[in-house]
Amino acid sequence: MLASVLSSAIKALEGFIVKVEIDIAGGAPTFTIVGLPEQEVKEAKDRVQAAIRNSGFDFPLRKITVNLVPAEIKKTGTHFDLPIALGILAASGALSNLAQNKLSEMVFIGELGLNGKVHACAGVLPMLISLRRTGTKKAVIPLANKEEGEFAEVPNFGASSLKEVVDLLEGKILFHQEYQSPKVEENLEGFDLKEDFSEVKGQALAKRALEIAAAGGHNVLMIGTPGTGKSMLAKRFSSILPPLTKEEMLEILQIYSVCRMLGKGKKIFQRPFREPHHTISNIALIGGGANPKPGEASLAHNGILFLDEFAEFSRNSLEVLREPLETFKVTIARAKDTLTFPAKFTLIAAMNPCPCGYHGHPVKTCNCTPVQISRYKSKVSGPLLDRIDLTVNLNPVNYKDWQAKSEGETSAQIRERVIKARKIQEERFKNSKTTANAFMTVSEIKKYCPLPEGGGEILELAMKKLGLSARSLDKILKTARTIADLEGSKNIKKEHIIEVMQYRPLDRKGVSDI
Amino acid sequence: MTPEEKLALIKINAFNYLRTDWLERLLEIFGSGQEILKQTPKTLSEEGKISLETAEYFLKSALELDAEKEIENTAKVGGHIYIKGEEGYPEEFLNIKEPPLVIYVRGELTTNLAPTVAIVGTRKITPYGRRATTKLAGDLAEAGVIIVSGLARGIDSVAHAEAVKRKKPTWALIGTGIGRCYPAENKELALGIIENGGAIISEYPFMTSPLAQHFPRRNRLIAALSRVAVIVEGEVKSGALITAKMALEQGLDVFAVPGPIDSPTSGGPNKLIKEGAGICLDARDIIDALPVNIKSTLKTQEIYKEKEEVSDLSPEEAKIIEAIGTGESTIDELSVKLNMDVPSLSTILFSLEVSGYLRCEDGKYSKAKI
Repeated sequence: MLASVLSSAIKALEGFIVKVEIDIAGGAPTFTIVGLPEQEVKEAKDRVQAAIRNSGFDFPLRKITVNLVPAEIKKTGTHFDLPIALGILAASGALSNLAQNKLSEMVFIGELGLNGKVHACAGVLPMLISLRRTGTKKAVIPLANKEEGEFAEVPNFGASSLKEVVDLLEGKILFHQEYQSPKVEENLEGFDLKEDFSEVKGQALAKRALEIAAAGGHNVLMIGTPGTGKSMLAKRFSSILPPLTKEEMLEILQIYSVCRMLGKGKKIFQRPFREPHHTISNIALIGGGANPKPGEASLAHNGILFLDEFAEFSRNSLEVLREPLETFKVTIARAKDTLTFPAKFTLIAAMNPCPCGYHGHPVKTCNCTPVQISRYKSKVSGPLLDRIDLTVNLNPVNYKDWQAKSEGETSAQIRERVIKARKIQEERFKNSKTTANAFMTVSEIKKYCPLPEGGGEILELAMKKLGLSARSLDKILKTARTIADLEGSKNIKKEHIIEVMQYRPLDRKGVSDI
Repeated sequence: MTPEEKLALIKINAFNYLRTDWLERLLEIFGSGQEILKQTPKTLSEEGKISLETAEYFLKSALELDAEKEIENTAKVGGHIYIKGEEGYPEEFLNIKEPPLVIYVRGELTTNLAPTVAIVGTRKITPYGRRATTKLAGDLAEAGVIIVSGLARGIDSVAHAEAVKRKKPTWALIGTGIGRCYPAENKELALGIIENGGAIISEYPFMTSPLAQHFPRRNRLIAALSRVAVIVEGEVKSGALITAKMALEQGLDVFAVPGPIDSPTSGGPNKLIKEGAGICLDARDIIDALPVNIKSTLKTQEIYKEKEEVSDLSPEEAKIIEAIGTGESTIDELSVKLNMDVPSLSTILFSLEVSGYLRCEDGKYSKAKI
C-alpha cells in the first residue's frame, strides 16, 4: 500500500514543501528512509515505531520504505516524525476513508516522543510562512510551537499527541479555522523597555554618540576603562531605536524559530541584543556548520551586536564580520548550495584603552608600556574600523556627577528625536535601496552631503592640525548628515562637521603622537 | 689608518656589549683590529683576561659582520662611519669612560663650540611634561641652541619635534642602528631631523635592533655631546635619571623642571632638585648656564624680553581654558561644569585645538601652551 503525506523542510530560512511517501510491501520487516535524510531524520524510525504502538495502533511488521521528495535535497530536523507516522497508519489501512481524504489537505510538522506525544521542533514559523506563499494549506504543528505559529497567519492546529491528530483526521475534533492573531502592532508600539538611558549618569558625549548612531544607523566603538558604563549604555541602545515594524519582527522570529530560541511565552517585541564572548568561534559568530545555522550576527538581525572586549576578538572573527556589515547578510557558500541568512545589525563595540584597562584612569595606575598600548590599539585598526563611524572615549564618572540629582534625558525623549531623524531619511531614500545615512553610497554622499561654506577649511584644518586622515572623509560627511537630520536642518552646517571630529579620536594619529 | 684596519674595527664593534673596557685592553695588547681578528678565542681570553665565552661570542659576532656592507648601507642613507680618533669623530667622546670605538652618523655633526643642551625625560609623558618640553625646547631652539636627546617616545620626541618645527638642527643619539627607526612612528621626525641640518648618531652597527641594554648606554653619549642637561619628567628610576647621573659624572650642569609632588613622572626631577640640581623654570635658566663664549653666539633677545600678556581668546574660550586649568578635562566634565551641551562645546574645543591652545588625547583635553 502506498500513502503520501505533506510536510515541510527548511533551507536557510526558507521553507519548502516536502512530500513524504510511504510504501508498505510484503517481505521481511524492514524500515528504510531515503531522500537524503540526516542522522536525526533517520532516527525517526525508532521514535515513530514506538509512538505508533504506544498510541494504541498496530505497527505493520512488513517492508516499509519512506521517501522524502524532492529526494536530492538534504533533509534535517526531527519534524518528519509526525508525517511519517501518519503515512504508515494510512498505508497500513489504519485510517478511515474520511481521514485519508483529510490527510491530503494538510501539512504536518512535529517530532514524536516514544509515548506518542508531539514535541516542539525547530523552524515551525518559517515553514508556516512559506505555506502562506505557496498556497493555502492547513497545517498541523506541535502545540508547543503554537505561539510562534500564530505569527504566520496560516490556519494551524496545535497537536499534543499522535492520537489527537488521528482524532482530528477522523473528524472527532474540529479544526479551528480562525487563528488568534497576536496583536503585533499594539505590542510593538507599547512595548515597555525596562532599561532606560536616564539611568546612566554622566557620559554626555557617549550618549550623544549613541543618539547619532541610532538616528543614522551608524556603528559605534566605545573606549574606556572598566566601570565607565560601556555595557550599560550598549544594553540601553535598543531603547532609543525606533520600535520594530511588523516585518522586522517577523524576520527576527523566523531566525529565532530556526534556532529553537522561541520557547513558550518568549515573545520578541524588542530589538535583539546579542553579546557574544570574545572567545567565540567564527562559525558561532557568523553562522554555518555542517547543517548551516544562523550565527550571532543573524541573531542580532534588526537589533544590536555588542562586542565587548573588542580588541580581544581574534582578527579572523572580526574579519568575517565584514560581510554582514557591508551587505547586511551572511552568505554560506558550499560546493552544493549557497545559503543566505539576514544579518543587519548595529555594531556596538567596546574596548579598554590598554591591555590592563587603566590607561588614563584618574586614580588607578596603568602598568602597560607605550608599546603595549599602541599595539593594543592597533589590533582594532583596519578594514573593520572602516565600518565604524563613531568612536568615543569614556572616562570614569566622578562621584559628584554620579550623585547629581538631575537625571539625564529618558530614552523616550531621545527616541522621539531619533524617529524624527529617521523619517527625514525615509523621505530622502524613498527611491533608493539605502535605508539610513550610514549606508549611503558614494554618489548619494555627493548628492546629499554638500559641504557648507567654510566646511572645506575646517576639514583641511583638522587634517593639518589634528592629523585626521583623508580616508575618514566620507564617514565624517555621513555622520554630519545624521547630526543635521537630528536637528531638522536641511543642510549640513559647519558646526555639524566640527562635532563629528569629537567622534573620530582614533584618526588623530601621527602628528599628535610625537 | 688603513682601509683594512677600518674594516676590522667596524667588525670588532659588532659585539653587543654591556662594557667595553677590555676592548681597549685588547687593542693595546695586539696593536690593531686586524691582529685581534686573527687570534683564537683562547688567546684572546688569556691575554685579555676575559672569559672564554665572551671571547668566543666577541669573535663570532665580529667575523659575521660584513664591514663593507656596513659602509655601503650607511653611505646609502647619506651617513658616515667614524672610527675613534679619525677626523669627524667628536672629540667630546674621547673624554668619557668607554668611548665608542665606532660611530655611525646620519646628517651633519659638528661638535666644536656647538651650543648644545640635552633635554631628556620619560616616555610616559603627561600633558604637563608636554607643555614644559614644548615651551622649553621651542624657546631654546629658537635662540639657536642645538637640542640633544634620544629620539625615544615622549619627552625626547617632543623636544626634537620642536626644533624640527623651527627648522633648527637637533641631534638624536639612538639606541638602535641608524638603519632602523625606533619607535617606528618617529620615522617622519627622524627625516625632519636630517632635513633640517640635524644628526642621528649611534654607536651600534647599522641594523642593530632595539635591545634593552643599549638604551642606558647611549645616555652617556647624550651627556657627552651636551653642555647642559635638563630633565623634564621621569620617574625616580628611569632612563632620564641615568642620563642625569652620567651628566653629573661628566661634569655637566644638570637642571630639572619641578613638578607636582604627587606626580610619579615628576619624582625624578624633584629628587634631583632636592639633591642640588638647578631649577629650570624657563629657557633663560638654561641659557644662563651656558659658557659665555657660547651664549654670545645665541639670539637671546626674544627670550629675555618681558612679554605682555595678550589674549586673543573670546570670553567663552577663556572660560573653557580656565575650567581645564593645568589638569585634564573630558567633554563630559566640561559640559557639567559649564552647563553647556556637547554640540556647542565641540565647536569651541575644536577651534581651541586647531589654534594650538588645547590638546586632546583619548578624549581628554589639556592645555597645550604655557
